[in-house]
Amino acid sequence: MGKSKGKQRKQVTLPPELPPEITEDEIEVSDEDLQFVDENTDYAGFVSRLDTHSITRQVTRVEGLSEDALEALYEKRRRKALEQKENEKSVVQVDPLDALPVKTLDGEVYYRTFSQIPEVAENEEGNEDKSIVKLTKAERRAKLKRSKKEAKKQGKELAKTEEVQPTQQEAVLAEVKEDLMVEETFETKKCKLAELGMALLADPESNIKSLKEMLQFAKDGDHSIVKLGLLSLLAVFKDIIPGYRIRLPTEKELEMKVSKEVKKMRFYESTLLSAYKGYLQKLLALDKQPIFHHVVVRCICTLLDAVPHFNFRESLLGAVVRNIGSSDDVVRRLCCATIKSLFTNEGKHGGEATVEAVRLIADHVKAHDCQLHPDSVEVLMSLSFDEDLGKPEVQVGNNKMKNKKNKKRKNIEETNQIQGNDRKKGKREMMAKMKEEVAADYKAVAYTPDVEERKKMQSETLSAVFETYFRILRHTTQSSVASSEANGSTAPGASGAHPLLAPCLSGLGKFSHLIDLDYIGDLVNYLKRLASGGSNSDGSAQKVQNMTVSECLRCCIVAFKVMRSNLDALNVDLQDFFVQLYNLVLEYRPGSRDQGEVLAEALKIMLCDDRQHDMQKAAAFVKRLATFSLCFGSAESMAALVTLKNLLQKNVKCRNLLENDAGGGSVSGSIAKYQPHASDPNLSGALASVLWELDLLSKHYHPTISTLASSISGMNTAQNQVYLSISPQQAFINLSLEQESFNPKFSTQKSNNKRKRGTGPSTLASINPTSIDENEVSKKLSRHFMLLRDIKENERVRGELDRTKSSLQLYEEYKKQTKSLKHKTKKSKKRLPVN
Amino acid sequence: MRPLDEKETTAVFEKIFKFTGNNLKNIVENPSHEGPDQNPGRYCFRLHKNKVYYVSESLVKRATNVARPKLASIGTCIGKFTHGGNFHLTVECLNLLAANAKHKVWLKPTSEMSFLYANHVLKGGLGRITESIAPGDGVVIFSMSDLPLGFGIAAKSTQDCRKLDPNAIVVLHQADIGEYLRMENQSEQLIEE
Repeated sequence: MGKSKGKQRKQVTLPPELPPEITEDEIEVSDEDLQFVDENTDYAGFVSRLDTHSITRQVTRVEGLSEDALEALYEKRRRKALEQKENEKSVVQVDPLDALPVKTLDGEVYYRTFSQIPEVAENEEGNEDKSIVKLTKAERRAKLKRSKKEAKKQGKELAKTEEVQPTQQEAVLAEVKEDLMVEETFETKKCKLAELGMALLADPESNIKSLKEMLQFAKDGDHSIVKLGLLSLLAVFKDIIPGYRIRLPTEKELEMKVSKEVKKMRFYESTLLSAYKGYLQKLLALDKQPIFHHVVVRCICTLLDAVPHFNFRESLLGAVVRNIGSSDDVVRRLCCATIKSLFTNEGKHGGEATVEAVRLIADHVKAHDCQLHPDSVEVLMSLSFDEDLGKPEVQVGNNKMKNKKNKKRKNIEETNQIQGNDRKKGKREMMAKMKEEVAADYKAVAYTPDVEERKKMQSETLSAVFETYFRILRHTTQSSVASSEANGSTAPGASGAHPLLAPCLSGLGKFSHLIDLDYIGDLVNYLKRLASGGSNSDGSAQKVQNMTVSECLRCCIVAFKVMRSNLDALNVDLQDFFVQLYNLVLEYRPGSRDQGEVLAEALKIMLCDDRQHDMQKAAAFVKRLATFSLCFGSAESMAALVTLKNLLQKNVKCRNLLENDAGGGSVSGSIAKYQPHASDPNLSGALASVLWELDLLSKHYHPTISTLASSISGMNTAQNQVYLSISPQQAFINLSLEQESFNPKFSTQKSNNKRKRGTGPSTLASINPTSIDENEVSKKLSRHFMLLRDIKENERVRGELDRTKSSLQLYEEYKKQTKSLKHKTKKSKKRLPVN
Repeated sequence: MRPLDEKETTAVFEKIFKFTGNNLKNIVENPSHEGPDQNPGRYCFRLHKNKVYYVSESLVKRATNVARPKLASIGTCIGKFTHGGNFHLTVECLNLLAANAKHKVWLKPTSEMSFLYANHVLKGGLGRITESIAPGDGVVIFSMSDLPLGFGIAAKSTQDCRKLDPNAIVVLHQADIGEYLRMENQSEQLIEE
C-alpha cells in the first residue's frame, strides 16, 4: 500500500492532476443505491473491494465532458491544489523544526532529535502507513488527513457491506483517533513551547512572564514533553541570564520611589529569579526519577558551566558533585567535565565556585568513606594554583610586613598625635575614614579580583584538596591494616579496595610543592606505611596485603617528589623507601599486573636523580638491577641497565663489581659474603660479588641491550666515559614501542647495529626496522603470495585429478562386477535349461 | 673477663638499639670466621675491667689462657660502665654501629673538622640527613664520602631541622674519630693499666 501511495504521490505532480478528494464527492450515495446494495449483497459485495483509486483515475480522465464543464473542472482542481498548498504553508509556519534553526547556532539541537523521532514512531503505528519515503511534516499531515478520510469512508462502506465485524473496525478507529489525538496534542504543545521560547529569546524583557507557562510544561504527564520543556527552558535560561548575580530589592528599597524603568527592571529580575528557582526545584525533584536522570544531569551541568556566577549555584554544585561518582558513565563524564571546566575557567565566577566545589567533593568523599569512582577525585588534578601560594611563610611574611607597616604608621601617628593638637587629630581621623570608604567603594566597583581574597580562597581550596587526599591515604592505611588483621579472609580485590588511591597519589605528586611543611612528616609516614604494605619484607608473613607493586612504587615516587620539591636546602635520605624499592624490584611482575612505566619512573626518580648514595646501597642496587634485567622483557631490562650504568658512573668505588675477583677486597665492608636474599640493601654485601650478569646480557637477543651491557662491562677500562643522556623512562618507552615491531631473527638488522655500535646510545635507540624499502618488501610479499597461490592451485587440481581417478576406478569396478553378474546370470540361464 | 649479667645486657642492648634499631639482630647474629673451626662461630659480649668487648667465641676461648690482670684488651671494645652503673659507648664501636646504623647524618666537608674536634653538629654543616629521626635517637655521622666520623644523639627531629636556623644544634656529639689523636695518651694509659 505504501508503495502504491508513493507512486500516486509522484503522479500528483503530473499534468492531469488528480485531486484525491474527488472520491469523496462520489461517495454521496443515494438511498436507492444503498437499498440495492443491501438487498443484493451477494453480487454487490465487489463494490467494497473495488480499487477506487484506479477507478477514479479513469473517471477523472475528463473524457466525456463538455468544454465548459471541463474548464470549470480544471479551475476547481486548481483552486483545490492552491488550497492545499496554502494549507501546507500555514503548517510550515508553525512547525518548530523549520522555525527554530535560527537559534540552533548555539548548539541547541534537542528540538530536532526529540521532536522527530517520537512523531515518526507515532505516525507509523498511528495509520499503519509504513512509507519509507521521507516526507516533510506538512506532507505527512496532509497524508494523514487523507488516510483518515479514507479510513472513515472505508469504515462506512464496510459497515454497510459487512455487518459481521463492526466492533473490530470501531476499535481500530478509536485507536487511530486516540493516537491522532495524542499526536496532535503533542504537536500543539511542542509548537507552543517553541513559540514561547522564540518569543522569549527575541525579547526577554517583555515576554518574561511566559517563562512560567513554559515551566508548566515541565509538569506535563507526557515524558517527552517534560524533557522537551526542560531542555527548551535550559536554552532560554542559558541565553537570558544576565552576567551578574541578581539581588532582590529589600523592603526598604521597595518602598522607595523609583522610575518606571527601574520598576520594570525589578519586575523582570524578580520574575526571572523566581522562574529560575522553580526550574531548579523541578530539576532537582526530577533528578530522582531514573527516566529523567540523564536529561536533568545534562541540564544542570550545562547551566553550571554556562552561568556559574548566578544565584542558586550551590544547589547546582551540590547536584553535580552528587553525581560525580555515579556508576553511569555518561552522567559521570558530564559531571567531571563540568567540574573541570569550572576549575579551569575561574574568571567566570571569580574562584568562589571552585572553593565550594572542592569543599563539596571533600565532603562527598568523606560521606562515602572513600568508596567512589576514581574520576571523582581526579578532577582535582585540573585545579591550578598561583606559584607563590602554597608557601605559608610568604603569607606570614606578608602579614608580618603589614603588621610592621601598621605599627610604623601607628607609631608615626602616635608621635604626630603627641605633637599635634586634638583638632588636628579629629581631622586626620576624618580623612582616614573617608579614604577607607573610598577604597571600599572603589574595590566594590572595580570588580578586579582582590589579590588577598584570591589568595585566601586558593589556600582554602588547597586545604580542602589536601584534606581529601589525606583522608584517602588514612582510609587506605586503615583498611589495609584491618584487612591484614582479618588475615586475608576477604579476598584481596587488587585496586578495588581503594579505588581513590591512584588519583590521590598522582594529585599529591602534582601539588607536592604546595604542601605545608608541617604535614610532610605525617604524609611521609603514611606513604611509608603504604609502601611497606605491599611487601612482607621483615619475615612477617601475616602481612597479607592488597596493595599492588605499582601502587607501592607510586607511593615511593610521591614521597620522593614531595621531599624534593620542598626541601632544596636540606638533603633528606629516604632510606626506608630505598629498602622498599629494593624489595619491590623482586616482586615486580611484568604484564597486566604491574606497569613497567611506574617502575621506570621510580628508578629514575629514586636512583638516577639523587646525587649521591651510600656505596653499599648503590652496590646493592647495581647487583639487584643486574639480576632483575636478566629475567624480564627487553624494555624493563633496558630501563634497569640504564639505571645501573648511571649508578656506576656516579659511584666510582662500585666499579669494583666489574672486576673479576669475588670478595670485593677492602671495600666490601663488614659483610664478607654476598647475601642475595637480604632485605636491606645496606646489609646485602653486594660489593663482595661480581657482576657476572652483564656477561650474560651481552649475549642478549636484543641488540640494544647487548651493546649496552658490553659497554657497561668495559666501563672500568674505558678512558673517557660518555654520559648517558637517556633516562630509564625514555629507554623503557623506546623499547616497549619497538617491541611490537621487533623481530629477533632479523640477522641483517643485527649487523646493522654492530656497524653503528660506535656512534653512541642515541643512535642505538633510534634504530628501528621501518627503514627498509617498502617497495621491495611489497614485491617480495607479492611474489611470496603468488607462490602460495600457485601451490594451492596445484593442490586443488591434484585433488580433482585424484577424485576423477578414483571415480573412474570405481566405475571400472562396477563394470567388472556387472559384467561378472551378467556372466553369472547368463551362466545360470544357460544352466537352467540344462537343469 | 665474664659474660654480662642480665642488667648489664639490657643496658648495653638498649644503648645499641638506639643507634641500630632492628639491625641489632645483625650485630648479635653476625657469624665470625675467626679461628680454626670450619663452622662460623658467633660474636659475644664480654665485660672486662668495666669495659664491654665485642669478641668472637673462638677468641674468647683462646683468651682464657691469659691471666685476668694481665689481659689489657680483647676483640673490639664497644663501651664502658661508669661507676654509677651507666653504660657509655666509646668511639671504638663506631664501625659496628656504622654498618648497621638506622639514622645517619652526612656532614658537609667544611664542617667535618669542627665535628672531629668534638663539637656538636650544627644545621649549617648538615649535608644530608635520614628522614624520620626523632629527638633522642642515636645518629651515626658520616662524611660525604661515606666515611663514618662518629656518632651522637639527635637534638631535633628531621622535620624540625627544616625550620631551624643554621646555627642550631642538630646532633649532640658523643664520640668521633678525632679522639684517636686527641686522646692518644689517655688510651695508651688505659691499655697500660
